[in-house]
Amino acid sequence: MSMINDTLDVAREAPKSRSFSKPFWDATREKKLLLQYDPAVEKYQFFPRATSIYTGRRNLEWRESAGIGAVHSFTIARRARPPFQGKEPFFIAVVTLDEGVNVMGNMVDCALDEMKIGLRVKPFWAPLPDGTHMLMFTPQR
Amino acid sequence: MALRDNAIVGFAETKIVEKSDRDVWELGAEILETLLDRTGFDKGEIDGLILSSSMTGAGNCFWSQTTADQLALEVDFCQTVDIGGCSPVGAIARACAAIDAGLCTTVLCLFADTQSAETNQRLRHFQAEWTLPLGLMGPPAAFGFISNRYEHQFGLDYAMLGKLAVAQRNHALLNDNACEKLRKPITIDDYLKSRMIADPVRLLDSVMVCDGASGLIITSRKNAARKSLNKIVTPIGYGERTTYRASQAIVDVTETGHKVAGQRAFAQAGLSPRNIASFHPYDDFIIAILLQMEMLGFCKHGQGCDFVRERSFAIDGDLPLNTGGGQISAGQCGLAGGGTNLIEAVRQLFGEGGARQVANTRNALVTGIGGIPYARNWNSSVVMILTPEG
Repeated sequence: MSMINDTLDVAREAPKSRSFSKPFWDATREKKLLLQYDPAVEKYQFFPRATSIYTGRRNLEWRESAGIGAVHSFTIARRARPPFQGKEPFFIAVVTLDEGVNVMGNMVDCALDEMKIGLRVKPFWAPLPDGTHMLMFTPQR
Repeated sequence: MALRDNAIVGFAETKIVEKSDRDVWELGAEILETLLDRTGFDKGEIDGLILSSSMTGAGNCFWSQTTADQLALEVDFCQTVDIGGCSPVGAIARACAAIDAGLCTTVLCLFADTQSAETNQRLRHFQAEWTLPLGLMGPPAAFGFISNRYEHQFGLDYAMLGKLAVAQRNHALLNDNACEKLRKPITIDDYLKSRMIADPVRLLDSVMVCDGASGLIITSRKNAARKSLNKIVTPIGYGERTTYRASQAIVDVTETGHKVAGQRAFAQAGLSPRNIASFHPYDDFIIAILLQMEMLGFCKHGQGCDFVRERSFAIDGDLPLNTGGGQISAGQCGLAGGGTNLIEAVRQLFGEGGARQVANTRNALVTGIGGIPYARNWNSSVVMILTPEG
């Protein structure tokens, strides 16, 4: 098995949230994934925005997602800046959640030759220093 | 009044260097002086200033007026265009619009950046929250996603990307303004064996950040005639699209805003892709050239590799490509880098290509790409068709 890192030992800082993305980060304290949902068009969106990407209106709801989906595309980072420097290579995946949004995340417990477009994945929550969690993905086996 | 009532009457470009020991305003002064010499305009006749974005200028929210002050230009129209690599081509369209609207008559479009020596960017962006915590380094990773997705949907013959890289490198060998570090011949095998940066994006797919400046003077054709400036280049078609398909949660990243921007530019010019004499696409990564060929209609979506296989992109080829080497082989002057291929297109139409002069100078097509969004293609796409007149 070729070596690829999962980035779990990277000393990440918790990202600073915005007024409209705070519910997302708050929910990650309990390892819950919240997505914005526009009931007017019955569609989800990601990343969180201050407006519906569909209508330009603000009647958005937060709905919990199981975080299950399939790899839409991916890359292998061979070079990175601190604090990721020295942890290369590692995956960055774009995952299409079953709700119909694309979310990016690192991959945990995924071998180099296991990764492919269409690979079914589930969430993996990596702890951050402030009690929130980073959404990562791991193969659904 | 229209786009085509305006004329580019002069162009200028500094040498592109890995790291400039000259200040960004010194580069700007060189461009200004060269343009005054070339056109015979007096400094006082320039009444408009449009700048491209600049990583060096990025810490200054008064960038255009500060630069006007540094160059002692007294102007009636002053702005910075901030659509990334689309800014230089976008600056020409905005200059024409300002002249047409009667806001000014003669515009200096100045593209200067010393990102390598002095970057002052502090982005307020989605990145800090959504991509930097993944270790994503930006453009190479984004083009890694695009490349893998393209390969999944259509298949991707990497040797054809190599063919484009080699064609551009051959042109940089003939360009004295290209960054010296890059002026060494490469083969398709060198391309295929170059190290991975963000799979499947290789080193020889990627631009190298450099420092440099370029610029143009644009005035109305009427004013150009009054000044007896007979050698001119006219924009005859332009299209611009920012955040293509912004209202969709998931987009096909192999499709870009160049599709709609190109349709608009071709319709305005009354031309189609088969009429294009030389092609100067924005190149930050080699696959961006392939995608633009497809989106502009040189070939069908997904058939770029076949198109590349069947064509020659040399100076005397079927479709001369980035005849100065493109940014990938001449060096990327930060956010002013969109000026490099633009200036080369103008140079060709002025008939000043020297050893790399193309035979067919009826027109040239130049593009821009600007900004990398979240799990999408790119933020801004511009397309401009130029023709010599006079």
